[in-house]
Amino acid sequence: MHGWLRVWAIALNTFREATRNRVLYVLVMFAVGLMAFSIVLGELSLHEEVRVIKDIGLAGISVVGLVISLFLGVNLLSKELDRKTVFFVIPKPLHRHEFLLGKYLGMAVTLGVLVVVMAVTLAAVLATQGGTHDVALLRAETLVLLELWLVLAVALLFSSFSSPYLSAMFTAGLWIVGRNSGELRTFATGKLADTPLGGLLSSVASIVPDFHVFFVSGGALGDTPVSIHGGFVGWSYVGEAAVYAGAYGAACLAIAAVLFSRRDLT
Amino acid sequence: MPVLEVDALRKTFVRGLLRRRTEALRGVSFRVEQGEIFGFLGPNGAGKTTTIKILMGLIFPTSGKARLLGADAGNRDAKAKLGYLPENPYFYDYLTVTELLDMVGRLHGMDASARRRRSAALIEEVGLGHAAKRPMRSFSKGMLQRAGLAQALISDPELVVLDEPMSGLDPIGRKEVRDIILGLRERGKTVFFSTHILSDATLLCDRVAIVVGGELRDTGPLGALLDPKVDAVEILWAGDDATAERVDELAGTHARTSEGRISRVADLDAANAVVARVVAGSGRILHVIPHRQSLEDVFVHEAKAAGAGRGGDA
Repeated sequence: MHGWLRVWAIALNTFREATRNRVLYVLVMFAVGLMAFSIVLGELSLHEEVRVIKDIGLAGISVVGLVISLFLGVNLLSKELDRKTVFFVIPKPLHRHEFLLGKYLGMAVTLGVLVVVMAVTLAAVLATQGGTHDVALLRAETLVLLELWLVLAVALLFSSFSSPYLSAMFTAGLWIVGRNSGELRTFATGKLADTPLGGLLSSVASIVPDFHVFFVSGGALGDTPVSIHGGFVGWSYVGEAAVYAGAYGAACLAIAAVLFSRRDLT
Repeated sequence: MPVLEVDALRKTFVRGLLRRRTEALRGVSFRVEQGEIFGFLGPNGAGKTTTIKILMGLIFPTSGKARLLGADAGNRDAKAKLGYLPENPYFYDYLTVTELLDMVGRLHGMDASARRRRSAALIEEVGLGHAAKRPMRSFSKGMLQRAGLAQALISDPELVVLDEPMSGLDPIGRKEVRDIILGLRERGKTVFFSTHILSDATLLCDRVAIVVGGELRDTGPLGALLDPKVDAVEILWAGDDATAERVDELAGTHARTSEGRISRVADLDAANAVVARVVAGSGRILHVIPHRQSLEDVFVHEAKAAGAGRGGDA
């Protein structure tokens, strides 16, 4: 129990730091501005105002959330080392893995709050155009949040042993590959089947996080088209995605904890 | 059982693509007993902070052992009874000192009322009452040092480890920190602090260890490290030229200054001879100062010895 209290103390401080970071507010304002601009774009369409606002709003939440989780994630540990704050925290009665978990939890809560703020803004923008923030949109936003939490865990894993620049490059690269894991599998099992390159692509596709599962609107599951404007995935799919994100994220955090606990903090 | 125990501690840093090795510690051993103020002395780059970082679980030794309060360095239970002030402390600058102490209190498992009570008392004790609600980004170096001292003491620790605690403080601040350290000893706490400012060690320490070039050069009570014999005696006197001629015949150095004539002789007997000739010549003795070995002398001697031992590659 005390362990979780220590984790919470670090998480609370990380959340506090994030809420006092002006860059975060600028990014959220950008998302809000994008949603406001979507009203203008909606006016240009023919009776598709709500559709345009939903598409742009969801994309805005995803993009801004990804930028925040990537850049704050890779800096979570390096900032502590650069600013030497780690020198007074680690000698306190907590384990290194508790510190790492607290940093992750604090940033995860921050991302949760940001997604809620942006979702409420999207709902307000939709309301001005006579639309509603329906449950399909809520499920899509939940999937976006799960993706952000997973990106954050991956960024934290890389930052536990490399510089912020390299961590950002690795994480962004992994996200791009992960978002296109479907295409990777298609190549591996299609034209390149039974070739060494096909085998390599298949291995890569099975190792990298499958970020595609979190952004399915506009795509298809099997032969079934999926869209937030009708025929979106159900809560069971969201639940499965949560289990996947939880398992993959936990593995990333566990490896990060092992690496961080052996690291000389000079 | 010693409160702090370091045994044959070695640390080699390996850096860069070329894997360059730097030996920061070369087999350091010492013990700190319950209730003493122990000074860890050495010039910059001697290995003081490396030793302390190993003790705090921030870095790992290449070989050897470091134990605190009966447990290995880095052990959580030991850290619960420990207060630590890092060298040139950096804190979360967006926090106020009250928020910092609240966070540290949480990490020590203190309840909300204990955190409030203890932090309010400590903020006053370290003289930050006027700045309790200001973010620490606006703090001077001395104020940060005081905040650091407060966070080190929040849990009323058994062992307090301070890395260069006087750094950045003005004379009043140094006096206040000295008083806090002495107060800790009065309450039975053990204080281990590093410094390169020898006057602090002279005023505070029961025992000291001198580390130079990653090696422990000496350890023990200050009195035992310092040679009590007189190195030289300085006599300032006033008198006429005839008296000066008679004094100049004696061994030693003799010079004229704006305040009078100054003679520097080897021991007290030689000093007596100078005084006798001045008095016989109707001169006046202005002052007599016997020079004994200071901690600075020991320090410089050890540093030179370490340099010579490694062919001047200190």
